[in-house]
Amino acid sequence: MTKFYEGMAEIFEVEPSAITPAFELTAATTADWDSLAIVSTIALVDDCFNVTLDGEGLAACKTVGDIEALVARAGKE
Amino acid sequence: MPYARIADIAGHLPPAVLDNEHLAALYPGWSADKIFEKTGIRTRHVAADDETAGDLACAAARALFARGTVSAGDVDFIILCTQAPDYILPTTACLLQDRLGIATGAGALDVNLGCSGFVYCLSLAKGLVESGSAKCVLVLTADTYSKYIHPLDKSVRTLFGDAAAATAVVACEAERAPIGPFVFGTDGSGARNLIVETGAARMPRSGETAIEHTDDSGNVRSRDNLYMAGASIMSFSLNAVPRAAAALLDKAHTDKDAIDYFVLHQANRFMLEALRKKLKVSDAQCPIHVEDCGNTVSSTIPLTLAAMREQGCFDTQKKLMLIGFGVGYSWAACLIDV
Repeated sequence: MTKFYEGMAEIFEVEPSAITPAFELTAATTADWDSLAIVSTIALVDDCFNVTLDGEGLAACKTVGDIEALVARAGKE
Repeated sequence: MPYARIADIAGHLPPAVLDNEHLAALYPGWSADKIFEKTGIRTRHVAADDETAGDLACAAARALFARGTVSAGDVDFIILCTQAPDYILPTTACLLQDRLGIATGAGALDVNLGCSGFVYCLSLAKGLVESGSAKCVLVLTADTYSKYIHPLDKSVRTLFGDAAAATAVVACEAERAPIGPFVFGTDGSGARNLIVETGAARMPRSGETAIEHTDDSGNVRSRDNLYMAGASIMSFSLNAVPRAAAALLDKAHTDKDAIDYFVLHQANRFMLEALRKKLKVSDAQCPIHVEDCGNTVSSTIPLTLAAMREQGCFDTQKKLMLIGFGVGYSWAACLIDV
């Protein structure tokens, strides 16, 4: 989980400690949940969990927890 | 029957340059450094208004002939890979035969492919040479995606550059085929994720298709412009590329350790690093050549090979895996000995 949270911290340009399941994806001040962040997250999730998420599913996520739930579901398929 | 090998490669970049400073001025919140950090690209070359992909291809061919390995007189087949032909018809490769002073006994055709195009064209050239149908195939890749891109669409304007490359594929005697084997792949269900919708048979341009829209990320485009769904392309690439690599190694009865370099289509640094990690190969084995020219579509692989040659990578014999992937969706991979 740490590698994933560290990666998310980099994408959102915040401290790693700021990333929790409750972290809101559209709340960051310097970057937002835009196409670049989504693309970066697809690569990060693939690297950390060997799961390839799709852009639409990710765009609907509101929090880091939502992403983790998506990963858990995808991992079961 | 002889084998086919790559005899030489030359590239051509149009002189006009679009740099990050210029782009940063257009996109609020994005500094030149940030653009470089996110894409790995500092400059892209851009064709002039009256400069076509065919013109770029012509210049690349002339640059190739100037190197002295092959001459216009040697060429008996021209393949032009482009998604920006001079005209709907006739074939742009026919025009190039005339412009380059290539014999009228030569064959010529256009191939409409993007990022996978160079590898596909190598397969065609190999087929022609190894069937005894041609002796010296001029494989030209050339594109001007800049002409399809809306100036305020940073999602694609930061990434794509215009360029051309000319590669000579010639007959040779050898113990084993220097080019091959190949694996191919096509998934048309991904068509709409990288597309210029209008201007051809399916949907002509109109006042309506020219209407501009702004997307959620602030990018502006109309249906006449290039559209790329970055996330979908990333997901597609992360799946298709490692699979193609594995299938190719299997087909060639070899393994990753036998490959000196993996030369991937140079989409952007971010994509390449993600793929390098997935393929589990080192930085040194997976060149990145986007900083000065961006994503030049079908020219990325030959331009990277030319740069590697200049750096001395091929001073001794090497085995390479080439993987082109993208618009279509279309992908192709092959092994080459250089």
